[in-house]
Amino acid sequence: MNHPTPDAIASGNEGAMSPQQAAAMLDQTTYEARRKLTPSPPWLLTVRAVAVLAALGNIWLTVRGQHPYQGPTGADVPVLVAFIVLNFFATVTVRERALAGVRGVTRFRPAEIAIFVAVFAAVPLMMWALDSAGVSFALYPTTVVIVPGLALAGIQTARGGWGSSWGGLAVTAVGVAGAFAGPVGSWAVAAVGLCAVLLGKAAVVARQQRGSLS
Amino acid sequence: MNDDTLDPLIHVPTRLKIVATLAALPDGDTLSFTRLQDLIGLTPGNLIIHLRKLEDAEYISSEKARNGTVSITTVALTGHGRKALDAYTRALRGLLGGDLLDSR
Repeated sequence: MNHPTPDAIASGNEGAMSPQQAAAMLDQTTYEARRKLTPSPPWLLTVRAVAVLAALGNIWLTVRGQHPYQGPTGADVPVLVAFIVLNFFATVTVRERALAGVRGVTRFRPAEIAIFVAVFAAVPLMMWALDSAGVSFALYPTTVVIVPGLALAGIQTARGGWGSSWGGLAVTAVGVAGAFAGPVGSWAVAAVGLCAVLLGKAAVVARQQRGSLS
Repeated sequence: MNDDTLDPLIHVPTRLKIVATLAALPDGDTLSFTRLQDLIGLTPGNLIIHLRKLEDAEYISSEKARNGTVSITTVALTGHGRKALDAYTRALRGLLGGDLLDSR
């Protein structure tokens, strides 16, 4: 292995590399850079997948014995809220750390953030309107994700074309599938469906992080 | 330069790391000098020398912006630089005959 001298480094002409060494360095550097600059790393997506399965699956276990259906118990709601808050802050913290010093399309634009905020603010209103209209699936947990999923798909399409919108469309599909599962079944659909989407996303990101040459 | 010739400007460990790191970002995204330094693990002086060589060849572009009293330098891979890295990668593939190392 060639060790460059301080003079060589200072002049910007370090020792020569063999093609094998260059290939290994290119692969390793690409992998490390992608890993460190990824706003949603696979480990976080996997943790979120397991957490969403546990949080929503737990509610499904408590509601499946209800006849008639009464919804989550008082003990379930704080757990669900805690999960949502923790998930939000973990996602923002990891994203900000990964994107420190990065400017450009990797970051959400203010208009995109505004769309997300408006969509999430509109979801309770939409559910209330559907409930008032007597729509059976108005208050299902899966109904919550339909419009945000569509918004995400729209933003992903605007950023990278139709090929990159699968995540948002998959979330929307989970929401639509839940509408056919009944009030109890929709909790299971939300738990399994969102877990599967997050695991799928983790697999895609992990694949994208592979080096240039491997 | 033919396809099997490794671009001498990129075929230097530190510059290869710089170009590969910047290429991990989408086209047009910029990276601050301090984050790049942190990612590659170089001293500021060393990094400046290599960035200057890459900028002279128009492989990267740099921009200095003022944020209050702090001056922030950002760097980005140019389209020309991305094409040069692609050509370098193809040349490496050619030289190694597709029998590439799995470095992880």
